[in-house]
Amino acid sequence: MTDNPYPLDKADLLQAYRTMRTIREFEERLHIDFAKGDIPGFVHLYAGEEACATGIMMHLNDNDRIASTHRGHGHCIAKGVDVHEMMAEIYGRSTGACRGKGGSMHIADLSKGMMGANGILGAGAPLICGAALAAKFRGDGGVGITFVGDGASNQGTFLESMNLAAVWNLPVVFVVENNGYAESTAMEWAVSCDSYIDRATGFGLPGVTVDGTDFFAVHEAAGEIIRRAREGGGPALLECNMVRFYGHFEGDAQTYRAKGEVESLRANRDCIKLLAQRLTETGIVAPAELETIDREVNALIEDAVRCAKAAPLPVAADLLKDVYVAY
Amino acid sequence: MAPVIGIIANPVSARDIRRVVANAANLQIADRANIVLRVLAALRACGVTDVLMMPEHGGIGRHVARGLSRAAAHGEAPYPAIHPLPMPVTGTVADTHRAADSMRRAGVAAIVVLGGDGTHRAVVAHCGAVPMAGISTGTNNAFPEHREPTITGLATGLAVTGRVPEHIAFAANKRIDVSLDGRVAEIALVDVALVTERYVGARALWKPDSFRELFVTFADPEVIGMSAIAGLLEPVTREESGGLMVRLGAPASGTAASGVTVLRAPIAPGLMASVGVADWRRMPAGVPFVPEVKAGSIALDGEREIAFSAQDRVSLTLRDDAFRTVNVGGCMQYAAQYRLLTGAPAPVTAEL
Repeated sequence: MTDNPYPLDKADLLQAYRTMRTIREFEERLHIDFAKGDIPGFVHLYAGEEACATGIMMHLNDNDRIASTHRGHGHCIAKGVDVHEMMAEIYGRSTGACRGKGGSMHIADLSKGMMGANGILGAGAPLICGAALAAKFRGDGGVGITFVGDGASNQGTFLESMNLAAVWNLPVVFVVENNGYAESTAMEWAVSCDSYIDRATGFGLPGVTVDGTDFFAVHEAAGEIIRRAREGGGPALLECNMVRFYGHFEGDAQTYRAKGEVESLRANRDCIKLLAQRLTETGIVAPAELETIDREVNALIEDAVRCAKAAPLPVAADLLKDVYVAY
Repeated sequence: MAPVIGIIANPVSARDIRRVVANAANLQIADRANIVLRVLAALRACGVTDVLMMPEHGGIGRHVARGLSRAAAHGEAPYPAIHPLPMPVTGTVADTHRAADSMRRAGVAAIVVLGGDGTHRAVVAHCGAVPMAGISTGTNNAFPEHREPTITGLATGLAVTGRVPEHIAFAANKRIDVSLDGRVAEIALVDVALVTERYVGARALWKPDSFRELFVTFADPEVIGMSAIAGLLEPVTREESGGLMVRLGAPASGTAASGVTVLRAPIAPGLMASVGVADWRRMPAGVPFVPEVKAGSIALDGEREIAFSAQDRVSLTLRDDAFRTVNVGGCMQYAAQYRLLTGAPAPVTAEL
């Protein structure tokens, strides 16, 4: 028996790895299938950023709400949205999470507290303030998490929402997923401060920066911030410095990135490799256990793609269905 | 030629979890830039005409440039010329390492550092014999003294221009070398703590149940952080040889029978923690200490940095006279005694 030095038991550690691997495999498969022309619309891949969504979402339950971004697949999977329904949605099929009418940037599942990916930058922030206000009125201990990229953090909605959350003392966590690029613009060209913490401070919110490629760093910091929000401590901001393995969107030629940058990131800052290394070197988990998860995840994604391709497209009569939703 | 000064202003210090688990401050970028301008004005008043500065993408340089432009528009010259070091910016501690190294090789007379304990440690690792003048903009700030930066700038200017005798102008400091498998892997300026968590995670230390051993270069009851634990047990000054080692245990076992006493110590800003103390003794300089903890992580100056297991051979050695700092208090007292700031300022010559 090996002493576990980590703050999670073995089952949770394996679940974290499974979630991160599921996100990665989901995205890697979309990367391939999009290039073939199988997928309508745009996709923005979360590969490389898995530790952030996973480390945060492990502290949440279905009662907690999240508002996601255009790069939302990882948030959906980590929040428990069904992978088959997600894949079908991205393929535009009627079995999708939104009946195939939303696509990649509008996946939602209110039963899981997932209020939606969002094609409008910064639009999730005001939504989550509403959800958090409802949780506060209900007194159910629910929290709201909204994600923005480093680019969307310049949007007025995001800044106004921090003000609103501070004024109303809402149980909201603003998560800035800083992958260094707003589409193709590096942050030093577009952001007037080094750290989004400065912006939070301006509204009276505490802010914390962590290495977003370190699952344990995200998990530990997010746990404290979310607990604080649940206990009535108010809103806060968490900045996760992370890396993006693909372009802003699929098809992005990425001419703005240095030669060899992505290869270096994949070799040295792959959050899944780092987690696997830590779990196996401490003897908590055997490599074979991770390989088993890898095989199961591969089979899951393969089956999700197979089902999506076999599912029917929406028909014209579905056009005006599900336009409004009550929740 | 007037002596050249280096400035390393870390834009990313004071951003960790202690903003949430404690009530640590966050010094905003504009404030950090204002500190740099205050230091620059003081340096110029002492005759320093050129400053090498670490480049960063955090906005400090931009704010400073505005201050310089405004002064130039008024036809004033209250600041030295700033020369950014030609180096890539990674936004990590590697920038501080590279900048300190470049400044040392460029022959600067001193390096003014804006940061917390971690930033100062990063500079010391690469600055060699170049003296450092520390300004606290971090979280615990156990190493850099709390002081108005204008005064730190003045003292640095007086020290490097030779107007204060060297034996007064500069002070020797201790450090602890952390060796893994016989090789010095890291250093600490204030404290090395051994904790049971075997992951770095959010880095800061705020869970006393995991504390096991503590080694400090000085033990000051007037500082916060891990060093405060030692400081409240047996003060050890920065000037005297050697430090202190403390064996810690879970505070829950703090009964008379367990031999563990409970100490309430400020381990972070506003965070009073109950810490179990088994015993403590002096840590002589130059003697390697092997921690009793066989697996966990090593926290340097308050932050977990290295996870280690039973396979790793860890030893800690305190070094006296390991690096130099500007003795701000001594310089200013000397300046007052000998009226160094009377008369018109003029550029001076000093040996680099």
